[in-house]
Amino acid sequence: MGDIILKTTDLTKKYNNKVVVDNLNIEIRKGEIFGLLGPNGAGKSTTMNMICSIVRPTAGEVELLGKNPWKQKKDVIHKIGYIPQELAIHGNLKAWENVELFTSLYGMKGQQLKNAVNESLQYVGLLERKQEFAKNFSGGMKRRLNIACALGHNPELLIFDEPTVGIDPQSRNFILDKIKESNKKGTTVIYTSHYMEEVEAICTRIAIMDNGKIIACGTSEELKKLVNGGDENITLEEVFLTLTGKKLRDYAE
Amino acid sequence: MIRYLIKNNFKLMFRNTWSVVVMLLGPILVIAVLSSAFSELMKSYEGVDEFAVGYRIQEVAEDNLMIETVKVAGEEAGILFYEYPQGEIKDVMEKNELAGFVEFSEGTYVIYTSADYEVEGITLEYFMNKVMNVGVNASLQLQEQEKIVLPVEELEFMPAVDSKDYYGIAYIVYFCWCGMICATGVLSNEKKYGIVRRFQVSNISELQNYLGKFIPITLTVTVGMAIATTITVLLYDIHWGNSILSMLIVFMMILAGAALGMMLYNISDSLVITIIIQFTIVWFMGFFGGSFETYMFSSTSDTLKHLSPIYHSNRALVELSCMGESNYVASAVGYSLVITVVCSTIAILAGCIRKRGRA
Repeated sequence: MGDIILKTTDLTKKYNNKVVVDNLNIEIRKGEIFGLLGPNGAGKSTTMNMICSIVRPTAGEVELLGKNPWKQKKDVIHKIGYIPQELAIHGNLKAWENVELFTSLYGMKGQQLKNAVNESLQYVGLLERKQEFAKNFSGGMKRRLNIACALGHNPELLIFDEPTVGIDPQSRNFILDKIKESNKKGTTVIYTSHYMEEVEAICTRIAIMDNGKIIACGTSEELKKLVNGGDENITLEEVFLTLTGKKLRDYAE
Repeated sequence: MIRYLIKNNFKLMFRNTWSVVVMLLGPILVIAVLSSAFSELMKSYEGVDEFAVGYRIQEVAEDNLMIETVKVAGEEAGILFYEYPQGEIKDVMEKNELAGFVEFSEGTYVIYTSADYEVEGITLEYFMNKVMNVGVNASLQLQEQEKIVLPVEELEFMPAVDSKDYYGIAYIVYFCWCGMICATGVLSNEKKYGIVRRFQVSNISELQNYLGKFIPITLTVTVGMAIATTITVLLYDIHWGNSILSMLIVFMMILAGAALGMMLYNISDSLVITIIIQFTIVWFMGFFGGSFETYMFSSTSDTLKHLSPIYHSNRALVELSCMGESNYVASAVGYSLVITVVCSTIAILAGCIRKRGRA
């Protein structure tokens, strides 16, 4: 594994005295696919938002590629590709217009931008549908377009916030393959999801988060050992439920 | 990057059928309804029968040619001038049932009107202003060397305008201030689908983000108002005055309306609150500024009228339409410019504060 690409030190976020993220300390190295698991309200999205400088931390530090994204945003922000949980695309724009709009935000223009748009659409398998309006796409196609919008500027770190919600198995499989493909090319990935099998299939390291804290972190095998002393028959979901409990979580972040 | 932001936001605003239809059909329908509803009220201006006016020439006044011109033009306009060289003007007017009286002296004239002939008085003021301007211009052309100066007393001038022209202009003015409606689709989408977060995870500055919306709103409303104005001119035969000055005033109002809307949105972070507050502000400005009842007959106070930017724009445009000139052009443009600069600055600052976030 390579250098540390992301490091958080005692990262904390409070909303009206309610601690949502509690002294979070994580280190992610270059080339990893880091999975962040947790029940609803665990603080995953808030953590992602603090890393991406969307939400200001109450306390603690974020170090992204050796820089503080709040203090040196211009130096570091173009190295991140952020794929939000929502379908952050405009339905009334065509596929290529969406990618052009969001890629241009990183300073690309002219032929370079055109090439980046086509490459991103090609990458997610939508190049032939580039002239269609996003509102006419299926759920899976919209998800793929959502990803394409974050790829155009060739980021070093891709942050996926539940990118496979509500799509068919084919599209999910396609997205997971593309994430692995990007990782092989050297892109570091942070991936949050509720789908255990997805996380287990692609992540090199997994952290389980609950009540704003990391309660376990390691490879899939290490987590299984932690819970059941090395019983290989146990699933990641069982590990998750053992660590976080079976009580329903009705939070909204 | 701003070029692509402007281009795509412009496309989004124009593809939002609902807002485009409102911006186009809104003024067309409202102008049709109000101009026909108030046509009787406005007719009192245009439907004045022939009436008699007295005049007197002071000894020092020598320009009899000008007075003859006034008499001939007056006859054509239905204003009959009769000379009364003697007596108290008030008594002469009462005795002879004159609607007005004009006292000519060297280089100037004074108009006397009667409360019993209010509309005729206004018509006389309008006529005198018009005919004396024409006369001065004609004299200037004839005698280029000799400069004629007619220091006309400052009159609270009431232009003669019909309801079609008045409401045809007033409602284009009114809708210019409501241009924020064009941005509703873009802004609600940005918020609803987390697109704002994509902007936050990018190199875009708050100024670029602001201009990326402000310029497309301005362009969309400008195109929309140009189409609506053309349609109303063709359908209702509305007369606009000096086209360059009129376009300047309208464009400045569009800028001010967009800046006001963006400022409210960046402060409130809510489209609903923005629309409610902006429309309330615009409604009050329109109420005092003559969008709902004509500013000529308005019962609101002069101070409140003058505080309303819509009053200045309305008055300037209406006067340009019926007189070809207006003293309100500078204040209309200046008011809009100040609103644009102040609101834009506050909008950008509010956006920066919001972006910086709360710890």
